[in-house]
Amino acid sequence: MARAGVQRLVPGVVRQSHGLQRFMLLLGLGLVLLFVVVAVLAPWIAPYGFDADRTSDGVVFGAQQPPSAAHWFGTTVGGTDVFSRVVYGTRTAMIVIALAVVLSSVVGVPLGLVSGYVGGALDRVLVLVMDALYAFPSLLLAIVVSIVLSGGSSGAFGGIMSAALSITVIFVPQYFRVIRNATLSVKTEPYVDAARVVGVRTPRIMFRHVFSNVAQNLPIIGTLNASEAILTLAGLGFLGFGIEPTAAAEWGYDLNKALPDATNGIWWTGVFPGLAIVLVVLGVTLVGESLNDVLNPLLRTRAGDGTESEIQLDDDAAATVAEDVPTDVRRAAVLSLSDLSVSFSTDAGRVRAVRDLSFDVAPGEVLAVVGESGSGKSVTARAVLGLLPSTASVEGSAVLRSGEGRGSGPGDPSLPERELVGRSQRELRSVRGDEVSMVFQEPSTALDPVRTVGWQIVQGIRAHRSVSAKEARARAVELLELVGLPDPEQRVDYYPHQLSGGQKQRVVIAMAIACDPDVIVADEPTTALDVTVQAQILDLLLSLRDRLGTAIVLITHNMGVVADVADRVVVMYRGRLVETAPVDRLFAEPRHRYTRALLDAVPHLGREDGPEPVDPSSEVVLDVDDLVVEFAGRLGQPAFTAVDHVSLQVRRGEVLGLVGESGSGKSTIGRTAVGLQQPTSGTVAVSGTVVSGLSDARLRPLRSRFGFVFQDPASSLNPRMSIGDCIAEPLRVQTDLSAAQVDAKVASLLESVQLPASYAARFGHELSGGQRQRVSLARAIALDPDLLIADEPTSALDVSVQATVLELFAELQQRVGFACLFISHDLAVVDSLANRVAVLQHGRLVEEGPREDVLRRPQEAYTQRLIAAVPVPDPAEQRRRRTTPTP
Amino acid sequence: MSSAEVLAAGEPPTPVPAAPSGSRRGLPPLARYLLVRLALVVPMIWVLVTLVFVLLRVIGDPITAAQGGRLTPEQIAERKAEAGLDRPLLVQYWEYLSGLLHGDFGRSLTDNQPISEVLRVNGAATLELSFYALVVAFVVGVPLGRLAARYRDRLPDVALRLFAIVAYAAPVFFVGLLLKLAFTPFGWPSSGRASTSTLLTLEQVHPRTNILLVDAILWGDPRYVLEVLQYALLPALALGLLTGGVFLRLVRINLLQTMRAEYVTAARARGMAEGRVVRKVAFRNALVPVVTVMGMQVAMLLAGAVLTETTFEWKGIGYALAEYLKARDFLAVQGIVTVIALVVCVASFVIDVIVALVDPRVRF
Repeated sequence: MARAGVQRLVPGVVRQSHGLQRFMLLLGLGLVLLFVVVAVLAPWIAPYGFDADRTSDGVVFGAQQPPSAAHWFGTTVGGTDVFSRVVYGTRTAMIVIALAVVLSSVVGVPLGLVSGYVGGALDRVLVLVMDALYAFPSLLLAIVVSIVLSGGSSGAFGGIMSAALSITVIFVPQYFRVIRNATLSVKTEPYVDAARVVGVRTPRIMFRHVFSNVAQNLPIIGTLNASEAILTLAGLGFLGFGIEPTAAAEWGYDLNKALPDATNGIWWTGVFPGLAIVLVVLGVTLVGESLNDVLNPLLRTRAGDGTESEIQLDDDAAATVAEDVPTDVRRAAVLSLSDLSVSFSTDAGRVRAVRDLSFDVAPGEVLAVVGESGSGKSVTARAVLGLLPSTASVEGSAVLRSGEGRGSGPGDPSLPERELVGRSQRELRSVRGDEVSMVFQEPSTALDPVRTVGWQIVQGIRAHRSVSAKEARARAVELLELVGLPDPEQRVDYYPHQLSGGQKQRVVIAMAIACDPDVIVADEPTTALDVTVQAQILDLLLSLRDRLGTAIVLITHNMGVVADVADRVVVMYRGRLVETAPVDRLFAEPRHRYTRALLDAVPHLGREDGPEPVDPSSEVVLDVDDLVVEFAGRLGQPAFTAVDHVSLQVRRGEVLGLVGESGSGKSTIGRTAVGLQQPTSGTVAVSGTVVSGLSDARLRPLRSRFGFVFQDPASSLNPRMSIGDCIAEPLRVQTDLSAAQVDAKVASLLESVQLPASYAARFGHELSGGQRQRVSLARAIALDPDLLIADEPTSALDVSVQATVLELFAELQQRVGFACLFISHDLAVVDSLANRVAVLQHGRLVEEGPREDVLRRPQEAYTQRLIAAVPVPDPAEQRRRRTTPTP
Repeated sequence: MSSAEVLAAGEPPTPVPAAPSGSRRGLPPLARYLLVRLALVVPMIWVLVTLVFVLLRVIGDPITAAQGGRLTPEQIAERKAEAGLDRPLLVQYWEYLSGLLHGDFGRSLTDNQPISEVLRVNGAATLELSFYALVVAFVVGVPLGRLAARYRDRLPDVALRLFAIVAYAAPVFFVGLLLKLAFTPFGWPSSGRASTSTLLTLEQVHPRTNILLVDAILWGDPRYVLEVLQYALLPALALGLLTGGVFLRLVRINLLQTMRAEYVTAARARGMAEGRVVRKVAFRNALVPVVTVMGMQVAMLLAGAVLTETTFEWKGIGYALAEYLKARDFLAVQGIVTVIALVVCVASFVIDVIVALVDPRVRF
């Protein structure tokens, strides 16, 4: 969710490819191809042998002859033909590169894979040795190795082999490092955990799941190393430690011999072999860099899947239902959007993110813009301030009515109107942060990590006001106090990482109000925060609006938040506005089909009719007894207790909702229950068998008893395996079914999660988030488990998608009758499907009991606070809560 | 080393621990961080030093390697006993290690010089050359890298990237050869550190640093200063352009990555001018991985110095190393390579300290 701005904003947009980029790739490929051809055809291209100093009929060439018809590149100080030596040198270089790259990947890749995956002492020792080798000047290492191997120089085969081996020693650490790091990151991907949960053996995991996803790095390292191989070979030759000059032609050696010529004006002996080196390295490097640009995930935007909504409307049905707005209100609006359209140019043509959007923001009002992902709400917000990337084009109009000193305040019709669309960055700069400011979704990425929060606030103030540094700082302290940050005098000098998530968001808000803006655009300001922190931040925003009279455009997907704070609501669907209405009217009588469907999909804490408790005499499937899980602290720090003496039981046919805020230990309990994490003390038993503390081999036969559904549907399926293979994996590992039987079972599993059997041949990225989560469910129930652990299975999904997945989940649970530990931060979701609820805080079990008791009549203060903090999708109810605060 | 820098960019090889805030006991975080780093450097030094010893002894004994054929077997045995090379390898290894602790790197075989003396004289020359090259590399790499990032994928960027790749693709001795071809027709000095007479004069400077620029300034004659700089120009350019190309690519790619960060958008949204956003926000953040990878360039600089010094007959430790290698004097080679390994380790520690200064997440 916290992916960098543009990707989140523009699903489905891949970076544009550029003509120049393609030119560089083609140039590189052309050069490499040329040299390969020259290397292969060397004896036919070269007019003479590489060390011939006379023609076949005995005529001596003569030393240091300038280029001529007989000797295109002249002759060397030794009287050999420069052109022939350059051509044969190509052959030497190509053989050495190929050998070195193959040898070093054959050694380095398995080492990196094993070291990264297995970890432990082996990993530490290997890393130490490889880091030491890596840090060492590579050429010196190659020299030392070449001396060891050949005593300095040797014949053609031996010389080439020893040169290749010397270079291999340099490259092994590079392959090792890259592959190990990639392995470390792939290893923690949910799809690897998913394979471990069903008992896939380590070698198969390493090959099928880790290596196949790490291997994409190989062409990049290979090409980049190839260029270094040539330079090292030349360096060895130059210093006299390469291949014996009588055995093969080598460019570095020739350059060494040509060096004294340079001061005598004899250029041809050195320039041609030197150019050959430059061109071949250039070619290989260009290919490698282009591959890097194409494959490097850091430079690549992920292709998303556009709109995910399960609510499908055709274009006619998407027609707008807008309230009539009197024209005098329009003229009084502080910000008016009319016919705003935003499109992005992509590799796949133009993508229209926002179409013909019109709405007004009145002074001092809270206007909520709601919609599911891909609806264009964030794009709209950024378009107004001109913060979209250069691939975006914005049409239509966004008029700002504000200014100082005239009229009665922002929105006054007598104030000057300013058009924001089409303005240059320079013109927009005076508006940004001064009249219109922004609050971002993820405070930890919106704050500069290497600057103090005070510095960042001061920069914002001094961008618009000519005040002294001292005055600006005093203002920063004042602002931090205003947003309720304790000890503002000290904290003004804090770096962002020294503050908690809620405190960081307060700082971001302080920056937004620094110049008394007329409009604050808050883009999902509470989505990254825990629910109790969310309540505080929403309180803060409302109180600022009341005190400063700032209009707030609140972009959110959370209907509870809308009901809590909004005055009016704009509903967006696929880049269009479908309905706009005052908040009470919207919730009471939604007019548009989409709005109705959206509101129907939102679970409502306290009004859901989840199942009754199951018979307490049913068989206990999951028995967690006095569980403690500690994570070792870093040097000099105490261990962190993630789970602190927790005991739980889940019975056959029962869903236990495990709720808590981030860091409460709920996921750790789930991971411990399936053996992905070992307990520090206490036991976990599934269907009467203790599964904690077992070795992988002992645990494997028991694995068929539980299934696991992960949070992020994007990463819980191996991107290199088909959907069918993903679902079949537990069957292949745990059963003796024939291939045909497995296929039939996969088809029936797909059917049971309401996907066509033909999806078995597709890959994860071809599915939407909701479909992927269905596949995860199918995989989890493939072995008819006694126990299903679902870790936030719907929190990454849009609300309409969540509704259908939850429906499917409940239906499967009814039919199959597995016991389920359902881990969630969303109390409303738990309210809709759990029999019992357990509440965790800081690793401790706070309260546990039947759903009706815990969620309707909570006994513990923490549970009461938690429930009170959840905004429900009912404006009247929220208003009542705000006027009579709960104790 | 440089080939992996594209991959290493944005992913610092020494991972920066994301220090959680809040209550903690014991040492302040910066002290703890530096202690951990120091604790990691020691085994690295040990591994490297041992590696050098093992590799150079696998070849056989250094006396036979250097004098084989010239001396009778009896004479060789006598020389071996003299140098203590007939004792068990473990004893020799122990002596080598304890010698290192006392700053004793052994003696060369061919001219029977203490290696520490070679280092004192030639090390200063290498230091001087590395300094010039770093100046060139910074002056070329950092501003051009920023320029390339600013014009991403447009003509200036493509041209600068091509320049950087060519700077990397051209071996330093080829660049040296081209520079010699270009400059010698004008009588520009293209080998050595200064003319013989100047060298003789500067030997009388007291205290003598062996860093000719400092010595010339101490001597007080601007003509000497000018001459020293004149001699240094070509080697500094050759080595500096190579490193500068690497810096250029590093700065570019890391700046591009930080320009995509949300906090850069946030800074723009506060109304900061674009120039300030790039200078004060994006560049500062890009510096963290840049500094880390630049630290690893120290090793590359030293390897480059061997080639550059040979090309320009610049009598530094690289030049000495090449000479001893040619003479098959592996005791001297062992001493010099050991020192280079130590320098690399110390440099990586110094870089860790600099990273801590740039990145407050390490400091607090």
